[in-house]
Amino acid sequence: MREGKKGSTGASSLKKKEKLKKTKTNQNHNGEDNNSIITKKKNTKKTAKKVQFEKQEKEPLQKKKQQQQQLPTTDSQSESGSESDYEDFSEDDVSEDYELLRQSEDGESESSGEEIHGNHSDSGNDDYHALEDHSNSSESHQGVEESDSSEDEVVPRNTVGDVPLEWYKDEKHIGYDISGQKITIKERQDKLASFLASVDDSKNWRKIYDKYNDEELELTKEETKLIRRLLKGKAPHAEFDPYPDYVDWFKHDDALHPLSNAPEPKRRFIPSTWESKKVVQYVRGIRKGLIKLDEPKEEEQRFYLLWGDDSSAAEQANRLSYIPAPKPKLPGHEESYNPSFEYIPTQEEINSYQLMYDEDSPKFIPKRFTSFRSIPAYENAVKDSFERCMDLYLCPRVRKKRINIDPESLKPKLPSQKDLKPYPATCYLEYKGHKGAVMTISTDASGQWIASGSTDGTVRIWEIESGRCLRIWEIGEAVQYVAWNPVHELPLLAVSAGQDVLILKSGFGNQEDQRKVKELLHVQTPTALDDSDNMASIVSWHQDDKHDGIRLKHFKTVTSVEWHRRGDYLSTVMPADILLFVTFCTIHPMAAFGGKLSGTATTHTHIGSGLSKKLSHRIPFKLHGLPVSSVFHPTRSVFFISTKKNIRVYDLVKQKLIKKLETGLREVSSVAIHPAGDNLIVGSREGKLCWFDMDLSSKPYRVLKCHPKDITNVAFHRSYPLFASSSDDCTAYVFHGMVYSDLNQNPLIVPLEILRGHKTSNGRGVLDCKFHPRQPWLFTAGADSVIRLYCH
Amino acid sequence: MELNIATDDQNEENLRRVQVRFITKLKPPLKVPNTSVAIPSNLTRFGLSSVVNNLLQSVNSEWQSQPFDFLINGELIRMSLEQFLLAKGISAEKILEIEYIKAVVPQKEEGPSLHDDWVSAVDGSNPGFILTGSYDCLGRVWKNAGSCTHILEGHSGALSSIRIINSDGMRDVTVATASKDRTARLWKFDAEEVINHPKKIQAFKILRGHKASVQSIAPKTSGDMVWLFLLNCIFIDVCSGSWDCTINLWRTNKSNAEGDQVSIKKRKVNNQADESQLEAHGAQSSFSKAEAVSTLVGHTQCVSSVVWPEHETIYSASWDHSVRRWDVETGKDLSDIFCGKVLHCIDVGGEGSALIAAGGSDPILRIWDPRKPGTSAPVFQFSSHSSWISACKWHNKSSFHLISASYDGKVMLWDLRTAWPLAVIDSHKDKVLSADWWRGDSIVSGGADSKLCISSGIYIHFQGKSEIIDLHMEEG
Repeated sequence: MREGKKGSTGASSLKKKEKLKKTKTNQNHNGEDNNSIITKKKNTKKTAKKVQFEKQEKEPLQKKKQQQQQLPTTDSQSESGSESDYEDFSEDDVSEDYELLRQSEDGESESSGEEIHGNHSDSGNDDYHALEDHSNSSESHQGVEESDSSEDEVVPRNTVGDVPLEWYKDEKHIGYDISGQKITIKERQDKLASFLASVDDSKNWRKIYDKYNDEELELTKEETKLIRRLLKGKAPHAEFDPYPDYVDWFKHDDALHPLSNAPEPKRRFIPSTWESKKVVQYVRGIRKGLIKLDEPKEEEQRFYLLWGDDSSAAEQANRLSYIPAPKPKLPGHEESYNPSFEYIPTQEEINSYQLMYDEDSPKFIPKRFTSFRSIPAYENAVKDSFERCMDLYLCPRVRKKRINIDPESLKPKLPSQKDLKPYPATCYLEYKGHKGAVMTISTDASGQWIASGSTDGTVRIWEIESGRCLRIWEIGEAVQYVAWNPVHELPLLAVSAGQDVLILKSGFGNQEDQRKVKELLHVQTPTALDDSDNMASIVSWHQDDKHDGIRLKHFKTVTSVEWHRRGDYLSTVMPADILLFVTFCTIHPMAAFGGKLSGTATTHTHIGSGLSKKLSHRIPFKLHGLPVSSVFHPTRSVFFISTKKNIRVYDLVKQKLIKKLETGLREVSSVAIHPAGDNLIVGSREGKLCWFDMDLSSKPYRVLKCHPKDITNVAFHRSYPLFASSSDDCTAYVFHGMVYSDLNQNPLIVPLEILRGHKTSNGRGVLDCKFHPRQPWLFTAGADSVIRLYCH
Repeated sequence: MELNIATDDQNEENLRRVQVRFITKLKPPLKVPNTSVAIPSNLTRFGLSSVVNNLLQSVNSEWQSQPFDFLINGELIRMSLEQFLLAKGISAEKILEIEYIKAVVPQKEEGPSLHDDWVSAVDGSNPGFILTGSYDCLGRVWKNAGSCTHILEGHSGALSSIRIINSDGMRDVTVATASKDRTARLWKFDAEEVINHPKKIQAFKILRGHKASVQSIAPKTSGDMVWLFLLNCIFIDVCSGSWDCTINLWRTNKSNAEGDQVSIKKRKVNNQADESQLEAHGAQSSFSKAEAVSTLVGHTQCVSSVVWPEHETIYSASWDHSVRRWDVETGKDLSDIFCGKVLHCIDVGGEGSALIAAGGSDPILRIWDPRKPGTSAPVFQFSSHSSWISACKWHNKSSFHLISASYDGKVMLWDLRTAWPLAVIDSHKDKVLSADWWRGDSIVSGGADSKLCISSGIYIHFQGKSEIIDLHMEEG
């Protein structure tokens, strides 16, 4: 206890060493002595002490030394310092003396105090045991106090207590002692006297008046030195070394052996079972993807848009496709109780609302009220809210997925029209002269003339380059179809009008050709024809003197006539469930195909001279549906017959069906074959155009829906990659239709041009279209009785 | 001078003015003083014309104003002066030299000569008469508008082309015709006969050999030197193009001509025969028909037009989009020009008689210069027509002027120095099928309205020869 006390007080550091000695001796004493022995010693020495104190008044320094010498003896007594409290009161006079002394030697208050205690204990030596007990308890008590601060240890010599001296400012005493006696203030020297004293006494400047204890103190030299040092900011004691050499009390190198030299336990090396289980679990989790590593933690949004749309926030938050209900319409000015005049409908308007449909009439009719009071209850309140609820409940709210694709990018990449030139585009020439709708046109093989047939019962031949009508035949019946013989040397024209097919000589070509044609067109008596079988009932051959040609009489209306490419054969179509296949063998009977065909034909009829055979026979195939059109294959002995829905392909040599093309159209109107023979276009009455690639499939390769009305005819160009369709909507479309010789490449179809110019007549537009055989020109025959030529 | 322009000044105070000097190659009565004049820059051709007329009037008070055309740097002005200068990037700082020439405009429209059918061919290369061919299978000779002197009878198909082979004055005229009956015929008549009724003439030679309609026939023409030579020549050389894609060269003996004519006449008396019989007769009297000397094969489609401008060279235009130059001696195709369109007509002329003008199945008249190496792009394109071009003809003296006839019913007069037509002759009601120059100052044209129209009074000035023309005009 003591050691701690002395170490803490700066003032007592002077006697550190001495005290250390003391403690040593003290410890020795304590170890040996009994309490009883100590008390005896106390008694003996107290008397001596009293004497010494008196001396101390004069030479405190000396006293101190003496005290220190004596201290070891008194130490044991000081332990029971608390006893003194009791005795202090009994011996007031003595204590006063002590206090003086004490104040003068502030630094040694302790030791002196101890001595005082010693005194006290001397005076009150009634019962040791009780004291001893007490001292023990006080000892602990002191210990607590001492730890607080050094000031507390100073036992006040003044017994007035901790009372402000102001209370006794005007009194002559400064308090009371324990017995209630006034403690009087000593008479103070007046100022003058004190001044004189200070003048006289050179040491007077060292004197300090202690008001509390009412005494004057004189500072010693050491103390003034101490103060000076403090003032300078140095350590108060000169001996104190602020920078002592560092003494390294601890060693820092590792100890050779650990604290415990025991070997590592085995369990430290064996992974724990539950740990390994957990690891396996994690590994599995990672492998399965249940645990994701390195996934950045989604930062929680700290701020959010307070006034933002709920829907987007909700969507972002939980990724649910929550669609908020549409907000009800906010009331406007017209729903005010006192709207402006312009909102209020007049009576007429209100009346007119009643005539309107419920959906159109306004739901709310604005009205004007003078005050809030006069507003009646809203009669539709329940209904409105009910409807709103129904809306919210029943109205399906579906999020529409909108795909953001540039529509341009979806278009197929087509070559530009400029690269596909030439193609017919502009009309420069018109062939006028027909009185009725031009039903059909046909171009001469050389490209010099064009033949046309019209509903006015005439067939005309025009010169293409000048637009001049060169020849007119009056047939008498509306002409259905005109076909120019594809062979240049045979300037023959097949015309179907009503139930007859006329074969006319055009009158062009050189003399030799014309003579041949004349011979060819010579038919003997029709009786020669009906010699054997029923074919005669279908077709009969007659000489037509009026037009100088041959008349083939059919029993039903003939709609279409087609020549074979060699000009030897002619097919006619009667849409009366029977397709007539008329062979017309000319002066060229050498054709292998012709020979074969006639060999297989059921009827052989040689007519006229041996040069030409004129015979006809029905197509030996069963058809399903009404025939519409027929086409010869341009190179092979293949024949196409289109019924209203399908197209059948027959091999004429083997006499069997090769293929059936399913158009998927409602009603086929026309068929045209590509000059290479592998592609077919089909026009339909619903305005659709089908392109068949025969090598690909029996389904159309492309279906072009271009015309709003019936397609009347389709045509391929003989040499240019062009095809066209004409329609009743008064337009003709021109397409680029490139067929590649490379079988892997599909045909390229590019729409090129819409040709307009014809006028509608009786609901019909362009009735026929044909390409010029050599130029990229298109002829169109219109219901407005004009033939137009579109040039590139 | 200043006074004349002062009138313009007052209301065009703030306009820009250009210093110009009018120059001309015309003769003195038409010449203005060689001084520079400041004129407003917004003057058009009409304004310039009035300025020049005023200048001329100041010199000669009895001057009657007439239209002029103006050239700057060899280009005709067809817009306001300011625009022209801006467009051509010509500086208006220095004195501008404007050359003026007489405006080339037909001034007189003579009454149409009516035919029975479409007029498909005209020829005006002889100043004394006009030849026409028609769809009624007849050829006609017209002294002038409305007076037909001869009728060429004998074809069984529409005439497609008619050309004068030689015309030594008005006597002894030889004519070649091509027809759609696949023959070409040669005719001879005396144009100076005075007759009241049109005289019917038979062909003295029938040229057979084409397998399809003969579209065009052209005699061998040459420069003035050879012209004289040709008069004494005993042979007649003709080439013809046809729908059978060939060009046939014909050579007939002139000396036989008389006999031929006689024989046909004889036959004609015997019987009015149809074509086959006529041929049979022809076979019997072999001298009446001529054989093709050679055939130029190369075109793939109808040869629509041929010209034989030089001794050794034939130019042909075809429906196969090409213009070909043939060497007569070897029969080889020397060069091709492809234009992408069907061609109907061709003529060679212009500068150095070397430019090829051709028109076809589009409204563009194209002119090529075959001397330009390595290119087949046309040097000029005139596109004021609105339909197919049926005929084009160079002026035989001027190197700038040519006419074109189109199916849109118009005949246009072109000057190479401007892209706009100098004149548009709109007298036809229907397609114009053929057109030609006549007498150097008139345009004759025949069309699908069965009319032969003559537009005359076109003053074409060309260097060195203007005197002749003017003199000729005074006579006419």
